[in-house]
Amino acid sequence: MTAMRPTLSSLGALVFALSGFVFSSVSTHDFAAHLDRQVHGVHCSFLPGLGAADASGTSGCHLTLMSPYSSVWRDSVWGGVPVSLPGMSVFAFLTFFALALVVGRRQRDPNAAAFLLAATLLPVGASIVMGRYAMELDAACKLCIGTYISSFGCFVSAFLGFLGARREPSTEAEPLKPGWLAAAFVLGVMFVVIPVRVYMSSAPDFSKYVGQCGELLQQQDPNGVLVPLGPQDSSLGMIEVLDPLCPACKGFEERFSAMPASTEVSRKALLFPLDPTCNWMVSDAIHPGACTLSEAILCAGDDAESVLEWSFAEHDPIMEATKQDPAAAARLVKAQFPRLASCIGSASAKSRLNQALRWAVKNQLRVLTPQVFVRGLRLCDEDTDLGLDYALPRLMEKARNRTVPEALPAEPGADLTVARARPPVRPAGQPGARPEIVNEAAPAADPAPAPAPEPAPEAAAEPAPAADPAAEPPHPVDLPVPPEGAP
Amino acid sequence: MTRPVIIVLATALLLLPALMVRAWIGSAVDRLAEAERAAEGKPEQVAVAANANEAYCTADLKKILRRVLTSCGLINASGRGCQPLDAKNVATMSGADFNALFLPMQGRGGIIQYDKAATALDATDTALVEKVFADRRGASYFLVVSRASPEGSEGSNRELSRGRADAVLEHLQTTFHDPELAKQVGLLWLGEEFAQLEQSFCNWQRSGSQESCLAEELNRSAFITWIDCTL
Repeated sequence: MTAMRPTLSSLGALVFALSGFVFSSVSTHDFAAHLDRQVHGVHCSFLPGLGAADASGTSGCHLTLMSPYSSVWRDSVWGGVPVSLPGMSVFAFLTFFALALVVGRRQRDPNAAAFLLAATLLPVGASIVMGRYAMELDAACKLCIGTYISSFGCFVSAFLGFLGARREPSTEAEPLKPGWLAAAFVLGVMFVVIPVRVYMSSAPDFSKYVGQCGELLQQQDPNGVLVPLGPQDSSLGMIEVLDPLCPACKGFEERFSAMPASTEVSRKALLFPLDPTCNWMVSDAIHPGACTLSEAILCAGDDAESVLEWSFAEHDPIMEATKQDPAAAARLVKAQFPRLASCIGSASAKSRLNQALRWAVKNQLRVLTPQVFVRGLRLCDEDTDLGLDYALPRLMEKARNRTVPEALPAEPGADLTVARARPPVRPAGQPGARPEIVNEAAPAADPAPAPAPEPAPEAAAEPAPAADPAAEPPHPVDLPVPPEGAP
Repeated sequence: MTRPVIIVLATALLLLPALMVRAWIGSAVDRLAEAERAAEGKPEQVAVAANANEAYCTADLKKILRRVLTSCGLINASGRGCQPLDAKNVATMSGADFNALFLPMQGRGGIIQYDKAATALDATDTALVEKVFADRRGASYFLVVSRASPEGSEGSNRELSRGRADAVLEHLQTTFHDPELAKQVGLLWLGEEFAQLEQSFCNWQRSGSQESCLAEELNRSAFITWIDCTL
């Protein structure tokens, strides 16, 4: 009778299955931790659990976790069901089956060994797919890599076990019959289905928060400071408050553009650079160069999206260069978009950006990016990353039933803001996928009464300024062009 | 013997992921409830976009500003511009003290210098007006305090002063096309009798000749600046 001693291949399968289980478990744990709607550090190590969670939000594991590929069924469960959870289940099953082969003395059973080999193909296939996604994200996720290695280790061990079983099949017992193998397959399915069902049924219902995070006070845009992004043929308007050098805004852009719901809104951007060069509401340059990039976007007109895409793609080198030389951002963007050179830095561009910031004041927006409003209803900050696919369609549905008028079409002119008074504050940029928030308390408003509104002056009826005929091609935005000699 | 062991193993490993996930989610739900309880009734600790209110906005300056803005039609929409008489009423202080209120704005404001007995803006004047106006940042109000030098009669100086302030406003209207300009720009035209600019203002950015800064040249002017104060 064969001893219950594991062969090297069985031992290998067992060890790799256990390590895969650990890597997947840590990954699932980090994902599930976000169900408290807070920002969390993520473990990103080849020895999970031994190091502290990385709270910088810059690790490959964080990037992967926040990517659209980290979970499935995001529209029905907040954040979706993490793909690491079925991974955890599969490795638990492989652990069980490898142990069962040892305990049942079937390590040399060709049928059982073939079944184990087939079962290991599932994590191998998943690793290949997820590895491709990770390369697409350019993210070095150590937990994921650990899982991939475990998958391939299981496969190789199972393959060696299969070869051994074929070479020296057991003579003690009949090979497992197809009925038993079918039962094992059903058991494997149950290993996956049960935890997934448990996850889906215990995940909290966050729909109660949708539409409860504030709204715009004034959606009108008489000065045309909102920059259209994408098609504008939907009656459902969406406004995104963004900073062109904000990583969280870039992350939001990637998540949003992958959503089917992205085609159902007319999206506009309000530029809110977290850069004290133009934004008096921040005192530290969280994103140096963001004011210049914002001017470029305002100057670009129909090409605004191209400038924004370039800003998101190049945000690290732009900020680094601007830290060394404040003029670098202008130099870089002018080199990339030469036709904007005369507009960037002009009095009219600065004035227009100032109007955008004043639009934020008028609406008493929080000093953070990104922020999203659908027909005036604010998307909760906690829903801008993992919960976006869940919350945004629900917010859109809620917004469709509102009767608030859409933003008025742009008119020429500038802006005036008479708003509740609060002093500028020192920002504290919070890295990660959540909005970059200035987290200090704003003191109470000045008790002095705000000036009363005045009837519209005659200037409001003045026609738009003529485009600068010298500009080639014609300046796409309605900016008054300063005369020669103007700064 | 082996079958019960395998069943136990299967059951344990089948339930393990489900139990772990249930525990993690339960823990997250508890943390969320705890955070909500802690936040209940507390104001949100988040900065809100607001106009600038710089340290130089002293009570005296705000008092003057409020009075000027009230008299000049910004707040109550009653007319446009403060006349010298209004100025005397709103600024119950000496001309030097009045001017001193604006000293913190040296880096922000400018002095538009006019030709003698003229109200028209030349190219360097308009350039400076646009430069100062475009650099609004978080300011709520733009003040134009025009003056006339002591030469000439009081009446004609008053007209000159008013014409100079109006010229700045008109240029802003035609250049910036701001439908709500009237709510931002306060005009104050002073004659020779109040708050003539002293030599210290020669250091401000000026549109006139940089070589000479005689008192009469400095006071054939409009002093323009954004005021970073909220009222």
